[in-house]
Amino acid sequence: MSGNGYLLEVKDLRKWFEVRRGIFSKPLWLKAVDGVSFELRPGEAVSLVGESGSGKTTLGKTILLLHEPTDGKIIFKGEDVTHLKDKKKLMWYRRETGLVQQDPFGAMPSFMTIYRILEEPLIIHKVGDKKEREEIIYKALEEVRLTPVEDFAPKYPHMLSGGQLQRVAIARALILRPSLVVADEPVSMLDASVRVEILNLMREMQESRNITFIYITHDLSTTRYFSEWIFIMYAGHIVERGPTQRVIRNPLHPYTKALLAAIPDPDPENRKRFRDVPPGEPPSLIAPPPGCRFAPRCPVAMDKCKKEEPPEVEVEHNHFVKCWLYV
Amino acid sequence: MLEVKDLRLYYATRKGVVRAVDKVSFTLEKGETLAIVGESGCGKSSMAKALIRLLPRNVHTYDGVVSLDGKNLMELSDEEFRREVRWRQISMVFQGAQNALNPVLKVGFQIAEPLMIQEGVPKEEALERARKALRMVGVHESFADRYPFELSGGMRQRAVIAMAMITNPKIIILDEPTSALDVITQANIMNLLKKIKQEREISYIFITHDIALSSELADRVAVMYAGQIVEFTDAEEFYTNPKHPYSQKLMASVPTLRSDKKLEFIPGAPPSLLNPPPGCRFHPRCDKAIPRCREEEPPEVAVKEKHYVKCWLYA
Ligand SMILES: Nc1ncnc2c1ncn2[C@@H]1O[C@H](COP(=O)(O)OP(=O)(O)OP(=O)(O)O)[C@@H](O)[C@H]1O
Ligand SMILES: Nc1ncnc2c1ncn2[C@@H]1O[C@H](COP(=O)(O)OP(=O)(O)O)[C@@H](O)[C@H]1O
Ligand code: SF4
Ligand code: SF4
Ligand SMILES: [Mg+2]
Ligand SMILES: [Mg+2]
Repeated sequence: MSGNGYLLEVKDLRKWFEVRRGIFSKPLWLKAVDGVSFELRPGEAVSLVGESGSGKTTLGKTILLLHEPTDGKIIFKGEDVTHLKDKKKLMWYRRETGLVQQDPFGAMPSFMTIYRILEEPLIIHKVGDKKEREEIIYKALEEVRLTPVEDFAPKYPHMLSGGQLQRVAIARALILRPSLVVADEPVSMLDASVRVEILNLMREMQESRNITFIYITHDLSTTRYFSEWIFIMYAGHIVERGPTQRVIRNPLHPYTKALLAAIPDPDPENRKRFRDVPPGEPPSLIAPPPGCRFAPRCPVAMDKCKKEEPPEVEVEHNHFVKCWLYV
Repeated sequence: MLEVKDLRLYYATRKGVVRAVDKVSFTLEKGETLAIVGESGCGKSSMAKALIRLLPRNVHTYDGVVSLDGKNLMELSDEEFRREVRWRQISMVFQGAQNALNPVLKVGFQIAEPLMIQEGVPKEEALERARKALRMVGVHESFADRYPFELSGGMRQRAVIAMAMITNPKIIILDEPTSALDVITQANIMNLLKKIKQEREISYIFITHDIALSSELADRVAVMYAGQIVEFTDAEEFYTNPKHPYSQKLMASVPTLRSDKKLEFIPGAPPSLLNPPPGCRFHPRCDKAIPRCREEEPPEVAVKEKHYVKCWLYA
């Protein structure tokens, strides 16, 4: 751990993708993540919420160094890992981090048994001998409650339901005992009736192993059940972050307010009223609007908003918002 | 207005017969919205296809009664159905339709197509009505002359809704009309559908796996499980006091933003429709099951006026 007690520090992180419209046209930059900063302590769980295309996956994968960062810094356990080149160091970082992907079927090699899928990271990182690996794998399956483990280990991915497969994905991401895990929309492809079960399971393992957990979701209503922190992302920026309950009960950023207003709870009165949501859709990330990126849709935008990018300010303890209304 | 009785749609596959829609019955009144909710694969889209009679090639069984204003549509030939019913009386927004627009045809032309083909409206007039329909769904009419890729996801979805409305049908089937869209765009589309409903006396059959979202439109709710409707009741009843054990658990698994509750889940997964469990199809996952549930299929019990529950607990 670093002296300041953070496991992960992200400083003004950017990930720009080069896109070309034609072979002769000059390259343009798609600014998927464009200046994101935050810190997380060991064992903290955060939900990263935003619409599709807001940059959640890119941010998660850049933090895990699955994308090369364009600019900014990633500090993990006090060490600058932003541009890790040393192979041994990179192996260490891979071992310390894990990823659960959105589509459980796409993320699993279909020709491998569940046993092989779980054994692979152990072999790559030279963990234990054959016997010890078997023990670790059986224990991992038990922890995600795929029991009897002897039944599940020899199966192939297509023989499992989406929920079962997502348990395998969780087991795989955690098998090397990482201290940082990114779960990218881990339940959005699952049915409502099993979603909660998987979220509970992740939460349990996160707590019992003191894992720092980044839960990526577009579904604000599940965040309360999972994490104490919430980050709201819009067009490559984190526009609001703070304690989950505070942000949900007392949203500050106009985008967060819109997001909350858009989400129904099951209620027969809903059909009798209209939702107070702004029109329009998120901007292009190649040529984002100047100033605040939400300004074209913001119901309370001011002149200044269209010219200057708002700074991030701490409005109350640990509750940050990037909006001119609070400067 | 619409009365469906014992509707069945089975598919023939290499592995056997898939009983996707298995003796489904419900009614729909004029101007009313029926939400059909259920988990993935329970047969929602199949039921929609059975109603509008757009069937895949591998149909094994297709029977039952679908009567609209007293006329049994199942007695019509395919040609009569195509001419008189599909689009004219019952139209549909298909699951994922916003991504299925023809990329090389202008949006206005695609919206006008059902008018030209179904009703033989001349091209110019049809295009004019398409522009009007676009305005109605909140898209500037100049987009009629654009191609689908030039529209955002939300605008494409509005265009698809315009297409389903242009023939002025009595019933529009909406199959997961917003599931690929973001929540704010989704809320905008729900606002649009509510507005259309207020302005015209149109009935929706709103298909979704999202319980919270279903309450945005539903006057009545049908809960589907493994090819069957297990509960059918008013919105007020359903969202506050569901009766079927499956509906109860499903409701308890919905995360809420505005109220605190402990979330529950249903152990196991929905059954295969190739070989559904005998008796009550929900019995392997039901914590209230009694011995009888394993052997005998429960009847549809009217627990109240217009409230049906397919469960032995109420028989
Ligand atoms: N043409 C077909 N041939 C064979 N089986 C089919 C066919 N179409 C659908 N099925 C099967 O029928 C069942 C019901 O499918 P359907 O698409 O109606 O479900 P759904 O409730 O709409 O699901 P979702 O929520 O995923 O859209 C599923 O088991 C599906 O795999
Ligand atoms: N490898 C890539 N190359 C180019 N553009 C990309 C790449 N990955 C993501 N993007 C773009 O970056 C933006 C953010 O995407 P993503 O991080 O996947 O968002 P989210 O996960 O919030 O949906 C999108 O515009 C997406 O198209
Ligand atoms: S900075 Fe201005 S435009 Fe942006 S969210 Fe705040 S008020 Fe709205
Ligand atoms: S019939 Fe029996 S198994 Fe089926 S829902 Fe009712 S109690 Fe449960
Ligand atoms: Mg993503
Ligand atoms: Mg479907």
